[in-house]
Amino acid sequence: MVGPLQSEVVLFPERIANLLGLSGTLGEIVGALIGAFIVGNIMLAMTGVAGPWAKRKITAAFTDRIAVDRIGPFGLLTIVTDSVRLLSKELIIPEGADRPSYDIAPLILPASALLGFSVIPMGSGIQLADPEAGLALVFAFASIASISLVMGGYASNNKYSLMGGLRAVAQNIAYEIPLIVTAMSVVVFAGSLQMSTIVAEQTSTLVSLGGISIPAWYAFVNPFAFVLFLVANMAEIGRNPFDIPEAPTEIVAGYQTEYSSVYFVLFYLGEFLHVFLGGAIMATIFLGGPAGPILPGFVWFVIKIWAFFLFTQWCRSALPRVRIDQLIEIGWKGMLVLSFANLVLTAIIVGVIA
Amino acid sequence: MSVELPDTTGVAEQSPEEIADLLGDLVIGREEHLNAPGFVIKPDTVVETLKRLRDDAGFDHLSCVTAQEYEDRFESIYHLTKFDDRTQEVSIVVPADKENPVSQSANEVFRTADWHEREAYDLVGINYDEHPDHRRILLPETWQGHPLGKDYDQDQPQVVPLREHQNPLLEDQQADNQSETMYLNIGPHHPATHGVLHIKAVLDGEQVVDLEPDIGYLHRCEEQMCQSSTYRYQIMPYPDRWDYISAGLLNEWAYARVAEDMADIEVPEYAQIIRTMGAELCRMAAHFLALGTFALDIYGDFTALFMYSIRDREKVQNILEDLTGQRLMFNYFRLGGVVWDLPEPREDFFENVRDFLDELPTALEEYHDMMTSNEILQMRTVGTGVLPPEVAKSYGATGPVARGSGVDYDLRRDDPYGYYENLDWDVVTEDGCDNYSRLLVRMREVEQSAKIVEQCIDLLEDWPEDERNIQANVPRTIKPDDDTEIYRAVEGAKGELGIYMRADGTEKPARFKIRSPCFSNLQTLPEMSNGEYVPDAIASLGSLDIVLGEVDR
Repeated sequence: MVGPLQSEVVLFPERIANLLGLSGTLGEIVGALIGAFIVGNIMLAMTGVAGPWAKRKITAAFTDRIAVDRIGPFGLLTIVTDSVRLLSKELIIPEGADRPSYDIAPLILPASALLGFSVIPMGSGIQLADPEAGLALVFAFASIASISLVMGGYASNNKYSLMGGLRAVAQNIAYEIPLIVTAMSVVVFAGSLQMSTIVAEQTSTLVSLGGISIPAWYAFVNPFAFVLFLVANMAEIGRNPFDIPEAPTEIVAGYQTEYSSVYFVLFYLGEFLHVFLGGAIMATIFLGGPAGPILPGFVWFVIKIWAFFLFTQWCRSALPRVRIDQLIEIGWKGMLVLSFANLVLTAIIVGVIA
Repeated sequence: MSVELPDTTGVAEQSPEEIADLLGDLVIGREEHLNAPGFVIKPDTVVETLKRLRDDAGFDHLSCVTAQEYEDRFESIYHLTKFDDRTQEVSIVVPADKENPVSQSANEVFRTADWHEREAYDLVGINYDEHPDHRRILLPETWQGHPLGKDYDQDQPQVVPLREHQNPLLEDQQADNQSETMYLNIGPHHPATHGVLHIKAVLDGEQVVDLEPDIGYLHRCEEQMCQSSTYRYQIMPYPDRWDYISAGLLNEWAYARVAEDMADIEVPEYAQIIRTMGAELCRMAAHFLALGTFALDIYGDFTALFMYSIRDREKVQNILEDLTGQRLMFNYFRLGGVVWDLPEPREDFFENVRDFLDELPTALEEYHDMMTSNEILQMRTVGTGVLPPEVAKSYGATGPVARGSGVDYDLRRDDPYGYYENLDWDVVTEDGCDNYSRLLVRMREVEQSAKIVEQCIDLLEDWPEDERNIQANVPRTIKPDDDTEIYRAVEGAKGELGIYMRADGTEKPARFKIRSPCFSNLQTLPEMSNGEYVPDAIASLGSLDIVLGEVDR
């Protein structure tokens, strides 16, 4: 099953090195640095568009409003002014804050998300690394986020922050297991943890309907797993109806209550990066990665992760928030059981067919 | 075609003489208030008197406690009535010594007396014996003197350094290390307090062990301001500022009703219909906002539902602006009627209102689709914030809060005023006693209000042109006789909004006491929240729909 495709994959750093005419160790280092710089900036740029502008515009569309439209075409330059505004605010550090961890927490959140993107195949040859255990690695990176949240929540010396941090940990533990167990069912199909293989496995045709061939994306092959993963993913990244670690009307802003200025921006960035990372994981393991007709792969990849972002915003506008005990109950009693059932069923079916 | 009157056959009606017999030698004097007979009792027999009235005569609703100071004595008045028959009222007058004003607390009989007596102590200076929590409530702990007392020096500076007063930080606020609970200040600045409210919460993990609302941040001396204004014109603008969330006309009606009854003014029928229509439009606007802010508490941030409800409220606001010329502080009612007739051209106004009413069912359908039929919302609200009917009654909860607990009590029907008794509408009740029921009651009340407005529009449209009398003949100055006392209430957006007035022969009231529904409703919050999760306590607070302007006055 593991095709010869694998050996043909030329990773992004290598391409850059080739382009620059460098080879050997120097080529690897320079290529990796430039590649990481480009990927990181692509994601940060997307976050920059999503945070101060797209989020407002999307929510406004859902609620019959206009949102930002004063500066630049469609209010796009708000991104610039907002960045300046946020960065020029006073950085307030609460009395009794646990200093090193208070400062480190906002760095860990975006960093963990950016690390996750290193193994995501973004199409058009943009993939920084393609290790054998790519899928396991991306989940490992993504779950570092919880450490950041509990660090920020604890170090802020604020009861609301503490509650937010504790909620975040409880929630992430409850949903990480179903999330990964559901992803394992994809691994059972693909027979590999390597991202490029998982994507490649989805290129075959599932059925042909009137000349249009529907690809074997795992979302079509196993829609049940897709829905499970979607729900667990929403909880993992803490979006409505599971935005409990922040829960503005209950615990003010949860773990980020005390953060201002640059630290707040970092948290905010990190959250959006995690939303996009969640979308990227979904796209890769369920939606055929960067695959799609006509348009280049990278464009399809961006469309898919933005579609997921749109979905989170839709839920944010329309769905009430569940209570923390209900959330934990859904996680441990519902999602966990369903995800294991899904895994066992998938294993049996794959075993019987193959 | 009229509203169905409540079944009061099971409620015995007592004549003043029967009450006097029941109380026997507890009564040391008699008074006559315009709304009810008054019985004077000794300050140490309050509990016994109220207990007898509650248990043997069915006076189960302590609507209000008014405190005031005379030249020779202090006085607390307990305004009692019945949830089953609002027209039966009795006032229990408790004089207290001028030098050492002490009176027994009624807290044992009616839980609502707790806050009402604290307010009386705070503002007037009567001490209540056996009160479980005898502290100031509206003013800060450091306040010197009692502002509605006779000897209060209004020019006295109130900047009191903590060293001259008990230092609240002196006592160690930190729980010891062994403590299992956490103390949390919710507010005064918190996204879910709907104004400036401070809740002192003790948590065990995520669960509420104890919760205590701390109010008074928005106290603006409304009673004092009304006492220094004339009946005829100067008081009317103030009610708009009590419950300032669109409920202006409902509040104005509270003052209009009490002043008209005191001065014996008859309001023309045409003006009554306009008042009824305006008041119901206000109720709809207020309920829309209640709906939207409740959605904020459950959904978080600015969600679609909040904007939908603001959109519908905006339509009502536009109609009210056409009618009154204002969007928030209407000042539209006058004693004896309203300030002006419907806007010209009348056809356009009727058309606007009809358009709004026609669109309303679709809008409500939208709310039901997005809100009440949403499983997550039901999961969050059904069975949380439970307020049993007996507890609600004991705390004097009224309005949608009481009706959500199955207490069938609505002043528009039970103590008819305006044009309500000639119209066809229903009192909405739900038996769930939880957050969901209170939400449903508000949504269904919007439908009933729409029904009332529609009937008013029909009546106004056909009203003969030469009989459009919007104002009765009211003297330029009103000077009710000395010592006339009256307590009257109307159904505000949040419940029973009552006003007690005592005249002293001048053109300004000697005592003006506001019975705010939110004040009594907010008192039930600890009952609903203790043992629940923090998010549910927040949801319960939202479902109470308090306006701090009215709580603190």
